Amino acid sequence: MNLRLSLAILAGKLAAMASRTYGNKGSSLPGMVARRIYPGTLQDLAAQVGRGILVVSGTNGKTTTTNMIATVLREAGYKLSSNMEGANLITGVTTSFIRDAGIRGKISCDYAVLEVDEASLPRVLKEVKPGVLILTNFSRDQLDRYEELDRITGIIREALVQQKQMTLILNADDPLVAQFQRSTSFPTVFYGMDPNEQTPRTSFQTREGKLCPFCGNILTYEFFHNSQPGRYHCPGCGFSRPDPQVEAFDPVIEGGRARCRLVFNGQEAELAVPVQGLYNLYNAMAAFTTGLQLGLDAQGMLDSLNRYRPVAGRMEVLNYKGKPVYLNLVKNPAGFNEGLATLQADRGSKDVFIALNDNVADGRDVSWLWDVDFEMLGKDHRLYNRFICSGLRGEEMAVRLKYAGIPVEKVTIDDNITQAIKNTLSGGAGAAYLFSSYTALWTVQKAIKSITVEGGAAR
Amino acid sequence: MIRVCHLYPDLLNLYGDRGNIIAFQQRCKWRDLPVQVDSINLGEKVDFQKFDFVFLGGGSDREQALVSADLIKHRDEMAAAIEDGLVVLAICGGYQLLGSYFLSRNGETIPGLGILDFYTKAGEKRLVGNVAVEVDLNGKPFKVVGFENHSGLTFLGDNRPLGKVLAGNGNNGRDGLEGVRYKNVFGTYLHGPLLPKNTRLTDHLIGLCLERHGIKKELKPLDDSFENRACEVMLRRMGLAGR
Repeated sequence: MNLRLSLAILAGKLAAMASRTYGNKGSSLPGMVARRIYPGTLQDLAAQVGRGILVVSGTNGKTTTTNMIATVLREAGYKLSSNMEGANLITGVTTSFIRDAGIRGKISCDYAVLEVDEASLPRVLKEVKPGVLILTNFSRDQLDRYEELDRITGIIREALVQQKQMTLILNADDPLVAQFQRSTSFPTVFYGMDPNEQTPRTSFQTREGKLCPFCGNILTYEFFHNSQPGRYHCPGCGFSRPDPQVEAFDPVIEGGRARCRLVFNGQEAELAVPVQGLYNLYNAMAAFTTGLQLGLDAQGMLDSLNRYRPVAGRMEVLNYKGKPVYLNLVKNPAGFNEGLATLQADRGSKDVFIALNDNVADGRDVSWLWDVDFEMLGKDHRLYNRFICSGLRGEEMAVRLKYAGIPVEKVTIDDNITQAIKNTLSGGAGAAYLFSSYTALWTVQKAIKSITVEGGAAR
Repeated sequence: MIRVCHLYPDLLNLYGDRGNIIAFQQRCKWRDLPVQVDSINLGEKVDFQKFDFVFLGGGSDREQALVSADLIKHRDEMAAAIEDGLVVLAICGGYQLLGSYFLSRNGETIPGLGILDFYTKAGEKRLVGNVAVEVDLNGKPFKVVGFENHSGLTFLGDNRPLGKVLAGNGNNGRDGLEGVRYKNVFGTYLHGPLLPKNTRLTDHLIGLCLERHGIKKELKPLDDSFENRACEVMLRRMGLAGR
């Protein structure tokens, strides 16, 4: 028994208890405390995972993909350790292992499924050796903190080539993700969506992956999915979209569900998830492909995904007096655009609430709002009853909506989040959509929980 | 008709820069001033003489290098149009590009367009955060707010700044100056984006464009209460009194 490890785990568990007593979620403090006592905490605990470690990273879809993978593995009978709450820095990853470890420093699980912040990936990979790495997509996110996208993908590439062995599960439709097969030569399984499929999509200038990651030429695209780059080709070096081994066809989003025809290993099946948004099909494909790689039964996984329950704040559906209320966390342009596409797909009348904070975890720079295509709402403003803007930068949000062509009389600013949510829910529309940046989400959730009944049905 | 040229929107769009175009366009439309925006991309011809307003945003290093190589081909036409009163707004990387050169960390000199004779050198750390600047356009000073995120330090020499730094870093964090002004050219590190909430600056640019068409009149006032509130929130936070 390693005494320092035991001491670190004990201190971590005490910190978790203390933190919860004060009403916090306690998702990173225990890891921080334990690492200070014994820096090898994560490394020692991670080394005990039985069958292997699965790491999920990328800009958007990490939390949902991690939870979907955890769902299929759990329902297939495996014992897991996972940071499902989305605390994805090295301290959060350490915390999740401490929670599942005994104070003698032993942990017993078949798999660890870890969501890891893309900028933290190099650090985490120094201590944790995953058998499988899943990368979802890369797009600009909080430039004041992460800096430019080129830099992030660059440090990930450097970290990956130092790894001895792993399997990559990559989104074929994003060149910034697909590049990692060629730049690492690790065995790779690709998933993607049929690029001939015409799905509703937004057009905006801020799509990423304009330049070839290898030679810097401008990539040519056949067309774009909803904020997902489609089939691409580099006229300079020939880098192009790989053929995916798991591919989705005929995607349909309706009635609060997303489904498609899934083709894999010469088989065909229906993939359906009880969550809105085309992007959730990508998340589900990432989970399904990971499961296939681990030898799980395909039909069993599809059944599990069909019963999947969304994570808090990821197009979570709640109920207020029979009216559906959707809650969505928004952190960056690509994610917000997906949220707006879902909002627009609902052709009924809507009340909309947006809470925007500019704390460090939200990104102190709110200029990313101008990369979000609110113009699509402006064209359609008759479907919207009201927009209520709140949070530390609610005024900025209101300016954005005004310039997107939404009539100012439909826009109000209310810096009291709870009151603003009450007003949104009691609005006259048939549904309410709530969007919140990261640090406002906690307050938003508390406010909603106090006035709604959980588990409402979507229209 | 006010003609707007958005240079390289596909490559220079790092910090919500297109918001500047949206704001300029909307504030013209709300006053029934006809406006047309043309996007000019890499390798495309551009006739600066036929435009009133040119916007140049910022990009990451790779993208900026591509833009610089392309724009340098149009350098003389652009410089001549500027002498004739072309209105230009250049932000961050686009601003640096107007100068003589950029001195990189390993001592390499990357030439700029040399339209203005200021220079930029790589700094030790990035200057990131909220900024407030006092700008004086026609003897009526007012406060402009935005967000900066740059590692290059710009030194103006004898050039006139856009304004004085009230909070934040500005050009280099040392001399208290922000941006550059020359004729109808405005260069700045402020994004946020700049034009949507700093309406006096936006309207000044629109006014300059109208003057190019021989129209000199007061612009129809608009209700700027959201914009003013958005600025006031940040000014209060930076400890600066009202506008």
